[in-house]
Amino acid sequence: MHVSKWEGRRSYEQWKAYGLLFPSLIIFALFMIWPFFYTIYLSFFDWNMVAPTKTFVGFQNYVDVLTDPITYKVLRNTLFYIVLLLAMNLVVPYIFAFVLDLVLHRWKGFYKGAIFLPSVISLVVGSILFMWLLNPVSGPVAIVLGAFGITMPVWSKLDGWVIVGLSLITSWKVFGYNFIVLYAAVNGISREVIEAAKLDGVPLWRIFVQIVLPLSGATGIYVLIITIVQGLQYVFTPIKVLTQGGPYYGSANLIYQAYHEAFVLYRTGHSAALSILTMFIFFILLWLEFKFVERGIHYAN
Amino acid sequence: MKRWSIIGALLMALFVLGACSGDSKGSKEQAEGKTVIEYWHVNAETQGGQTVDALVKEFNETSDTVEVIAKYNPDMYKGLMQNLQAEAASGKAPAVIQVGWSFLDYFSNNFEFVSPQTIIDQHFEEDATFLSDHFLPNVMDLAKNAEGVQVGIPYSLSSPVLYINRDLLREAGVSEEGPKTWQEVREFSNTIQQKTGKHGFYMQEPADNWATQALLESNGARMLTDGKATFASAEGIEAYSLLRDMVVKDQTALHVPWDQGVQSFIDGNVAMVYTTIARRMQIQDNARFDVATVPSPTWEGKEVRLPAGGAMLAITAKEEEQQRAAWEFMKFLYSVESVAAWTEGTGYVPPREGVAEAENGLKTFLEENEMMKAAIDQMDGVVPWTSFPGDAGLQAEQLLLDVRDQILGGSVDVETGLKETEERINELLK
Repeated sequence: MHVSKWEGRRSYEQWKAYGLLFPSLIIFALFMIWPFFYTIYLSFFDWNMVAPTKTFVGFQNYVDVLTDPITYKVLRNTLFYIVLLLAMNLVVPYIFAFVLDLVLHRWKGFYKGAIFLPSVISLVVGSILFMWLLNPVSGPVAIVLGAFGITMPVWSKLDGWVIVGLSLITSWKVFGYNFIVLYAAVNGISREVIEAAKLDGVPLWRIFVQIVLPLSGATGIYVLIITIVQGLQYVFTPIKVLTQGGPYYGSANLIYQAYHEAFVLYRTGHSAALSILTMFIFFILLWLEFKFVERGIHYAN
Repeated sequence: MKRWSIIGALLMALFVLGACSGDSKGSKEQAEGKTVIEYWHVNAETQGGQTVDALVKEFNETSDTVEVIAKYNPDMYKGLMQNLQAEAASGKAPAVIQVGWSFLDYFSNNFEFVSPQTIIDQHFEEDATFLSDHFLPNVMDLAKNAEGVQVGIPYSLSSPVLYINRDLLREAGVSEEGPKTWQEVREFSNTIQQKTGKHGFYMQEPADNWATQALLESNGARMLTDGKATFASAEGIEAYSLLRDMVVKDQTALHVPWDQGVQSFIDGNVAMVYTTIARRMQIQDNARFDVATVPSPTWEGKEVRLPAGGAMLAITAKEEEQQRAAWEFMKFLYSVESVAAWTEGTGYVPPREGVAEAENGLKTFLEENEMMKAAIDQMDGVVPWTSFPGDAGLQAEQLLLDVRDQILGGSVDVETGLKETEERINELLK
């Protein structure tokens, strides 16, 4: 008797939970699951987005994508973006958060505000702003460098440099948010541990590596993932505004390339095939993350 | 976090409400007994949208028979085409629309339209010669499709001109009237860099081949002949080599994205810029030096061929009454006063004749804005902007952009680059 009452209550609670989940599940299905299957479907067709008929081409789109040297160039670009974004938006803000929380004693509020501020401004605005700041001929950065006798490279037209430039612009947007999240994590670490270490004369870098990093790892891993996944999407905006993927696909990443194929060239099938392949790559990355990184993470609760 | 999402939701709600109220305002203006037609345009508030509204308002106040509702379409001419697609699917159509040049063939192959002259011949005898009286034949040709059908009438027109920084030209000791030929552009550019240390020249590099076409075709090359790409001719290679040499060999010309190039001209770091007249207002308002425009440089002894940018007006109305109303409205838009207002509001070149000199037209405006003159003077050299035919047209366009990056980046020489690209494009167009 007692047990079944408890059971009944549990199933009621369960239904309530599902009921509450339902609205977001519908949205999820409508805007994530359905487009996903439709993309798979489209990747087997040749279609220009306006024609009434789609031609079935089997795996031809995949063959095209995989034999196209541009795909591999774009893939290399994507990896380069990931490395740069991780350095700029995970490593640096982590150190900033540590320094601000445990090393600095004054002006903390100001720094927090100043660093967070750009992340509420539109990236389109930021891109236009940086286009001016980083103008290789007449922008302020070029003028300052010129005073030291350094000629600024025409970054937007050079392979490699263009990715550095666009990553910098993206960081301007992403940095603040990542910083605040990491700061909260570092700030949440019990003071006693750190004070004890300080009393024992442990150097700051060891406090960071051996105490702070492990204790805030759960947040760190979250920031790692969003830096990769979201960062690559954020980069899209400056690419679109500044370079349109140029010079010769030197700044296109997988996400921009999929957009370019579909909405500039109207090669829907090609774009869909590229998108599906992109997703596979991300699956592999996530799997690696779960297998190797997640295991060593200490979750506080 | 929660507070932010509430603010976000409120903003969304405001947005939706704003959009709704915008719609209802349009329908309220419908008057009794008048024929109501829709005019679809792409001019946002900052890009001539205010002029569109002013013109439509003026027309509605003066016309007893026709009431026009102006409808703005975001995302330029492509967005308008997509909306038209949706409208056609539901069996409806606006009366007058703007069609961008690059969509000329796409539009005429996929949508119903009536050639303006047909409507004039049917209902408006007094206007029978309106088009031939007021438009240059080469300008009217811009709005003809591949089969030679007059799809619409040119409305928004732009052409490339050379902007010059006279202060820098004087400092370098070259003619302050600017270069007349492309060879001179190169010489000027060299001298300017030697004497002033500034960059000599920049040619616009947006995501299209508009300026490239002007450069190549003015030298006698043709982008397309009988449906096949032919730009890699000796003339085409010669023309492209000049630009490449200026960028790669002489290093007197800049190779940067469009906005940065124009910006560097405005702040005085580049002496000459080859770009569209539609940028005049931006350059004129911001330049702090003696700035002027000169017509597109020619190739020694050859006629210029300048692709037109912009759009035409086409009539998509289906019923007779709507079609008549459409022409009445279009005739108003092509009056001297309306075209003058359009030019002042947008920076486009007037598509018809008799506006520049007219007292009620642009006479005073042109006296104050001399920079427009270069573009108006070269109107007889304007030709259609080449669009590669068929489904692969856009890809062909992209290949040309790809090779531009490679040539100007110095990773491939002009002849190989152009020849290979031409081959690949012809492969696509088959």
